[in-house]
Amino acid sequence: MMAVVAGLGAAIGALGRYGVTRLVQRVYGNYWPLATLLINWLGCALLGGLTGWQVGHLMTVLIGTGVLGGFTTFSTFSHEVVMLADQRRFGAVLGYVSLSVGGGLLLAAGGLWLGLHLH
Amino acid sequence: MAKIVAIIGWAFVGGATRYGLGVALPIVAGFPWATVIVNLVGSGLLAWLSHAETLTAKWPNALTVGLGVGGLGAFTTFSTFGLDTVRLLDQQSWRLAGLYIAVSLIGGLVMSGLGVWCARRWWHFPVAEV
Repeated sequence: MMAVVAGLGAAIGALGRYGVTRLVQRVYGNYWPLATLLINWLGCALLGGLTGWQVGHLMTVLIGTGVLGGFTTFSTFSHEVVMLADQRRFGAVLGYVSLSVGGGLLLAAGGLWLGLHLH
Repeated sequence: MAKIVAIIGWAFVGGATRYGLGVALPIVAGFPWATVIVNLVGSGLLAWLSHAETLTAKWPNALTVGLGVGGLGAFTTFSTFGLDTVRLLDQQSWRLAGLYIAVSLIGGLVMSGLGVWCARRWWHFPVAEV
């Protein structure tokens, strides 16, 4: 039953990711994977906040595992890194990986702190 | 419209499967294995799907987009990876946190590279027309 809840959330999240990706690529282009970076940053911050807020099990599965898990993506991230490396753009590889991981961790921690203190 | 429907349908499958694996593979010794496995498998499959043109050309485009953006995009997750790492750091499990980041990052890139390599290699062979 909870798997259905997670699946429904993930469908919403993935649709949001598709929309944001198309919007960012239309405005910014796709020379550098800005869309995935922004999506993963936002998802990390919101999941941190949700966890800090200590919502119930249903909301954790629906919003956390489902919507935010489906919104953010690791597979596109690693594929984009491999494609940048394939084009020998090693500076972009270094920048993208460190911004994604460093920023993601900072935002998750910041969200967690904010959620705990605002609750 | 077909793409939207395919993304919704496959993302449902991807998200539900990720949840199921999370329940089936409990955290052993504080290490979130389920997320690692999900992210590595998903990275390999997405990279392969993105380059397996001789195969995907035979399908409707909506299926490829649905499987990639929806299914594998929602199967894998970056937010849980980030929060799990913050939790490990918060518990001062430095070694586990470092291991988690290293295995996820290096593993994800190796699997992605492997997926691209497989698809490109396979692409060079003539595929029997069905």
